[in-house]
Amino acid sequence: MTLVLTNRFKLKDSHTLAVYEENGGYKTIDKVFATNPDDIIEEVKQSGLRGRGGAGFPAGLKWSFIPKDPGKPKYVCVNADESEPGTFKDRYLLELDPHQLIEGIIICCYAIQSHDAYIYIRGEFDLPYRRIQAAVDEAYAKGYLGKNIFGKGYDLNIVVHRGAGAYICGEETALLESLEGKRGNPRVKPPFPATHGAFGCPTVINNVETISALPWIITNGAQNYRQWGTEKSPGTKMFSVSGHVNKPGVYEVPLGYPIKDMIQNECGGVGGTGRLKAVIPGGSSVPVLTAEEALDANLDYESLMEKGTFLGSGGIIVIDDSVDMLWALRNLGHFYSHESCGQCTPCREGTGWVSKILDRIYHEGGTQADLDLLNEIADNMSGKTICALADALAMPVRSYLKKFPEDFARHIKKTA
Amino acid sequence: MSFAFTPENQKKFEALLTKYPTKMAALLPTLWLAQNQNGHLSLEVQEHVASLLDLSPVHVHGVVTFYTMYKQKPSGKFHLQFCKTLSCGLCGSEDLIRHMKEKYKLEHGKVSEDGKFSMELVECLASCGTAPAMAVNEKYVEQLTVEKIDELMKKLSVA
Amino acid sequence: MTKVKITIDGHDLEVEQGTNLIEAARQLGKTIPHYCYHPGLPPDGNCRMCLVQVEKMPKPVIGCRTGATEGMVVHTQSDEVKKMRQSIMEFLLINHPLDCPTCDQAGECRLQDYYMDYDRIPSRYQEQKVHKDKMVDLGAGVMLDEERCIVCTRCVRVCQEVAKSEELFVQERGNHSMVATFPGKKMTNPYAGNTVDVCPVGALTSKDFRYKKRVWFLSAADSVCQGCSRGCNISVHHADNRVYRLKPRHNPEVNDYWMCDYGRIDYKFVNDGRRLKPHFKTDAGLQEDSYQNAFAHLQSVLQNYSADQITGIASAQESNEEINAFVDFIKSNFGSLPIYFSKNNPENPYEDDILIKADKNPNSAHIASKNLKPVSEISGGVKAVFVQRNLSAQDAQVLKDKGIQIVALFATNETNLDNLAEVILPIPTFAEQNGHFTNFEGKVQGFTKALKPRGESRLFAEHAEDIKALLSSIKKAS
Repeated sequence: MTLVLTNRFKLKDSHTLAVYEENGGYKTIDKVFATNPDDIIEEVKQSGLRGRGGAGFPAGLKWSFIPKDPGKPKYVCVNADESEPGTFKDRYLLELDPHQLIEGIIICCYAIQSHDAYIYIRGEFDLPYRRIQAAVDEAYAKGYLGKNIFGKGYDLNIVVHRGAGAYICGEETALLESLEGKRGNPRVKPPFPATHGAFGCPTVINNVETISALPWIITNGAQNYRQWGTEKSPGTKMFSVSGHVNKPGVYEVPLGYPIKDMIQNECGGVGGTGRLKAVIPGGSSVPVLTAEEALDANLDYESLMEKGTFLGSGGIIVIDDSVDMLWALRNLGHFYSHESCGQCTPCREGTGWVSKILDRIYHEGGTQADLDLLNEIADNMSGKTICALADALAMPVRSYLKKFPEDFARHIKKTA
Repeated sequence: MSFAFTPENQKKFEALLTKYPTKMAALLPTLWLAQNQNGHLSLEVQEHVASLLDLSPVHVHGVVTFYTMYKQKPSGKFHLQFCKTLSCGLCGSEDLIRHMKEKYKLEHGKVSEDGKFSMELVECLASCGTAPAMAVNEKYVEQLTVEKIDELMKKLSVA
Repeated sequence: MTKVKITIDGHDLEVEQGTNLIEAARQLGKTIPHYCYHPGLPPDGNCRMCLVQVEKMPKPVIGCRTGATEGMVVHTQSDEVKKMRQSIMEFLLINHPLDCPTCDQAGECRLQDYYMDYDRIPSRYQEQKVHKDKMVDLGAGVMLDEERCIVCTRCVRVCQEVAKSEELFVQERGNHSMVATFPGKKMTNPYAGNTVDVCPVGALTSKDFRYKKRVWFLSAADSVCQGCSRGCNISVHHADNRVYRLKPRHNPEVNDYWMCDYGRIDYKFVNDGRRLKPHFKTDAGLQEDSYQNAFAHLQSVLQNYSADQITGIASAQESNEEINAFVDFIKSNFGSLPIYFSKNNPENPYEDDILIKADKNPNSAHIASKNLKPVSEISGGVKAVFVQRNLSAQDAQVLKDKGIQIVALFATNETNLDNLAEVILPIPTFAEQNGHFTNFEGKVQGFTKALKPRGESRLFAEHAEDIKALLSSIKKAS
């Protein structure tokens, strides 16, 4: 199936400029520079492209918040800090089609009239880093980046900036802090990055996948993009599927695609015991779905909201019936307490507390009071902090306890 | 001996400064450069980086201690970073980690006596589709099994 | 400046647009509890204690970083807000060591205060606490107990914003976060004591004050620092007629919320090394004795001089009132010679453009207004002087060189003049009297009496009455 983002993935040396150009790459540049920047923003708005990092904010709308003449530089930051457990799509976009991302950056920069872009890539991504850096170097050598790009009288620089091991830097304002050479502490908002972003200047921050969709959208038009997906979730999305499926991997499908079909058709069915227990649809932080809920759900923003969860980053973790959901939650407790930046009291203390309670119940057994306390701590953590990391643990805590009570009951000590 | 960049790295460092509107922004890449040269970021290296970028040493230290990939102590020649997060966990990483301890006496935070190996348990490497995974130094090794690990350890121990 | 109308808990008020909600509530006399917010520092927003509800906002907001806008309706007492405060307190206390009995902050600790105000439930925490170092010497007289720290970063911001010094920073992350200096380094900035003042909990304590006194036994008197010509507003904390510590007192026109570390320890002379009784010179050396015998000795000394050979040296260390009394006394009883002054005049005095002035006298401005002359210009006609408080080493040398006798020294403490003065009469320090200093900008600032005059010390005016009587009896006799 020919779609939007992954069309060149199977080509040999797909990461090189030559292969990219042979296969339609950089063909939309003439069109871009012949178009009014505002019309590009309008086209992206019309496409309904939503942020693919997790929050799902409409990309064109985000760009329209950038002031026209701020009297200072404007920046574009590409969020390549892909760290949400269960998510590994951006990695392949960077490894297998880095020029698509660069072309997307050119489109985004032109649309908001920015001349400086940073790609913030997580420190662990070695091959993706080398691939995107090599692609940037190729583009500079060919005059596609730097001064007067493509002879269009427009200057554009791209810097690839490596992180160094911190999940929180995927949060857009933590990313900015990190880019500026600081600890990755999320910023209090407002002010928002659109006015006070990188280096105090107006900044657009978009996920790799969002930006990578732009060349196709501008080439083929917003209406064509809308041939896929639903009214509120147009287009395609890349889903990372992991856990208990026979063929884990990254799959691009139209939004609205049923989870059932994703597991059965793309992923070759449930792996492990072969019996589905649970599905985490959007990266480890979103509320979990039971097998029954999952098999009835579609992969788009609104259907998953109806099911009480989120599309998030599209990291689908499939769990078979051998898994103790307390064990799974404990694993996430460790993750989020390790990754809390430690600024806000409820997150710094709450994630650690939850994690320790789960450890204790797992090893020694617990009481009903422990389970009630877990729910209450989750409530006390949610919506009280600068960023959403506390919620990213609170949501699993509440949903696992609610949907898999038997897995927790099994660990309750029988009292005399 | 006091730390200084090699002439080649000095050039790279100077190039870094041109990429950002502030000196501070060059901190993360400068630390990478220093760590790649020195193997780890000793306090002396941190102070040197601070002076290069007109930052306070305590700011640099705050940054170094925030990011897990900056090493304050030397690690083994082969630094084995096992992912322990959910998808790898679902695919058996706990068994592999146990295997490392039982067979190779390696566990989180440990460096082997000969300095050849060190091990660290890390959070999600975005290798969930090819779980279980680890990074050996910077290179990902994926779809791990006990056999694959034994083969790799054999290869590395003579490398 | 635009004024906006807002409502807090049903009370309407008008504030400047953008006023943060903690300050807006303060105008109504309401407290929105907070740890990390400090009115003298840039807001951070990490502690989350000041979460309140604002109508039409989807989530609770932090008072410290939410600016008032027209028509804003704020709730600080709703059940939900109360629940949030209770939960923040619970979070803050789970890893707290609860070592109040041995904590110097006890009695002035926001954890204790807010626990009583907003929490009051027993701990539900059964897990192992995160253990950290309890005795870290941060330098500059500041001790850190990492386990008590709530990482509010007030101390970090004080160093950055007040001392303009980046010596403290948060290290590590998550619940291992802590405040620290660079390993092996210590704070050296001269405003480090303010980190202790702003610490809302017992994490940072003053080495000077640690374990000396439970704070609830201390009383406070409004005062003015006499360490330099800035005249930082301070509180003198005292008990048992001794001073235990000095704390800065807010005055936006002089020192804001801060004081320097030199000033902060400039109280020790009040407690120690004092002249508490009259002394006079004998063949066997300086002798402590009664006022009666001291005045008898003074009388015998004064008999050697005529009134036109005697003058006085006033001190820039004394209050307006004491300087006036001294100058008036010299003028009315001697008067033909010029009157001189002396200043504390250390070599290479430290100064900066923050608070610390090079002039280490609290009252140079008042001295300047009295038209007195420096001791270096002392004329040949002077044979004997009354000296207020003390002389600089240079000025003492001038007297020695010219053979001018110090007939009486009005002293608070033992000084380098002890062997030069015929009689030493004890006077109280600034902590034992009411008075005023005039600072370098001409601002006249009052200070109040914290202690009873120690020992037999008396204000200059009381000494002057007795000396006047003495002088008239000398006149009669001649």
